[in-house]
Amino acid sequence: MSLLLQGLALGVLTGGLYALLSSGLSLYFGVMRVVMVAHPAFLFLAAYLTYTVHTVFGADPFLALPVTVPLFFLLGVAVQRLLVARLAPENVPMMSVLLTFGLALTIEGLLGTFYTGSYKSVSMEYATRSLTVAGVHLPYDKIIAFAVAALTLGVLFAVLVKSRFGQALRATIQHREAARLVGVPTERVAGYGFGVGLATAAVGGTVLALITPFFPASHWVWIGKLMAIIVVGGLGSVAGAALAAVLLGVVEGVVLVTVDATWATMMFYVFLFLTLLARPQGFFGGRLAHRF
Amino acid sequence: MRTASRGLPLLAAALAIAYPWLVPNYYLVYAGALTVMYAAMATSWNLLGGFTGYVSLGHSAFFGLGAYGTGLLVTRLDVPWALALPVSALLVTVFAVGVGVAAVRVRGASFVIVSIALVSMMNLVVQGWRSLTGGSTGLQVPSPFPDLHRGQTHMVFFHLFLVLLGLALLSWWYVSRSRFGAGLRAIREDEDKAESLGVPTAAYKVAAFALSALFVALAGGLYALWFGSLDPIFMFSILIGSYMVLMSLLGGVRHLYGPLLGALIVAPAGEYFLIALGETQVHLAATGVLLILVVLFMPEGILSRLTRRRPGPSIPEESAGQRLEGAAR
Repeated sequence: MSLLLQGLALGVLTGGLYALLSSGLSLYFGVMRVVMVAHPAFLFLAAYLTYTVHTVFGADPFLALPVTVPLFFLLGVAVQRLLVARLAPENVPMMSVLLTFGLALTIEGLLGTFYTGSYKSVSMEYATRSLTVAGVHLPYDKIIAFAVAALTLGVLFAVLVKSRFGQALRATIQHREAARLVGVPTERVAGYGFGVGLATAAVGGTVLALITPFFPASHWVWIGKLMAIIVVGGLGSVAGAALAAVLLGVVEGVVLVTVDATWATMMFYVFLFLTLLARPQGFFGGRLAHRF
Repeated sequence: MRTASRGLPLLAAALAIAYPWLVPNYYLVYAGALTVMYAAMATSWNLLGGFTGYVSLGHSAFFGLGAYGTGLLVTRLDVPWALALPVSALLVTVFAVGVGVAAVRVRGASFVIVSIALVSMMNLVVQGWRSLTGGSTGLQVPSPFPDLHRGQTHMVFFHLFLVLLGLALLSWWYVSRSRFGAGLRAIREDEDKAESLGVPTAAYKVAAFALSALFVALAGGLYALWFGSLDPIFMFSILIGSYMVLMSLLGGVRHLYGPLLGALIVAPAGEYFLIALGETQVHLAATGVLLILVVLFMPEGILSRLTRRRPGPSIPEESAGQRLEGAAR
């Protein structure tokens, strides 16, 4: 029983992190109908930058954020303006996957060249201890990850709901032509949407660096996991992806403590296939996803 | 023109068969066999990708399964290799039908996601099922030709892969002239319209998916017999799947020889990188950059450029008047 509680608690904490990591994917899909396979590669790019900041300057990993977040925002705008927007419009869904796939390979290759293929990790003294509540051990690094994820997602939601830019972004997601008709510069907004998406990757990468060791090819595992999350949640729905992330995080956590790690990862694919068979548009949002 | 179009492929085939005797050393035979293997796999990928426009990044799943199927039949059940190879390929094809039924329900980006997930799943299964597959330590397959030395084995497998390439090309050619092929093309141009015109789209897509898996599985089986040592991380690497896509796109997915041409460029380039730079990660980045460039600037491929076909639908939209004019001319 306490084992199950442990799995459940860890699952919720990890699920929160998954929600942050997958939120960018929903944004890209929303604004451009693009499945960004390179998102996890960017996560690990951020993780490596954090590692550099930590080892070279001896700084706290979170002090890397003021550098990486604006940098990744600009990168995102550049990716949208220079690459994705240039694709021939008739086959964007397929070609964009290949394009971002090429981007992922490039990033992995460059990371491997500069940082070698061996495992790297960022460990802080405060992240190694754990908190015990009612017999359940909660590692501090997981708690920090959850808190950062919740904070970032809170800011993201506030921006999306309250600000004028957020309104323009949501209008672009809902109906591109209509948004343009009422005066939203959809091209520019789509670029900023990519920027915001990659900015979340900068935060997510720093958190990842703190909680897990990583090597250049780590992003492949995350492609499967994050794609499963956004498909189950419904492509293009930020809130749906967040719910699915917590759901899958809990399933993973429970299977991890009751069966083993292989099956825990396998659960993501099982849910992915079940969703596609039963409800291809996803469970929580996804009016958009119908034909993609 | 007619003799040229008949004669050139025959000449190329004769040169290809003679290739192992024309090159100075066994390394080039080995590199040649690898190139022909990739060409066969890319051509086979194009049975699905070229006709229907469904881009699968996960065909390395069938490569790995074909290899492990052959390897397990030979090592665990003592099946002779010449039987193990087709049996394993057939099993993989049956499996591909099952996967296909689920996978082709979704289109576009979701299909690509499913294909990536397929490879990751297979990788997990093979690594996790230690008692059967040897897990991450790998599986050793005895050589089918123990009497030959390494170089001679390369020569034998060069020709076996050549036969496989010939079969894949013939199938593509045959399908492209059939009603089945016309139906698959209709799916590429407009799936809903094809469906409403009575093309059994679901059955056709599954058939194309399974057919293209068959030849990739055969290539995997041959690879297992050739190399004799299987490692799940390599066999189910997403990189092999992306090579098939890159080669096909680079050469031209709408052409019979497109994937072959792409393989002739990409595979030797990869080998060259390996020699010039050693086992570095640079080749990954190079592959990525090449893929980005192809997708951005040449999604129709080299052959389309050469034959100066306009990009766009393969069935040109012309009015009845234009048609009549063309017929009168």
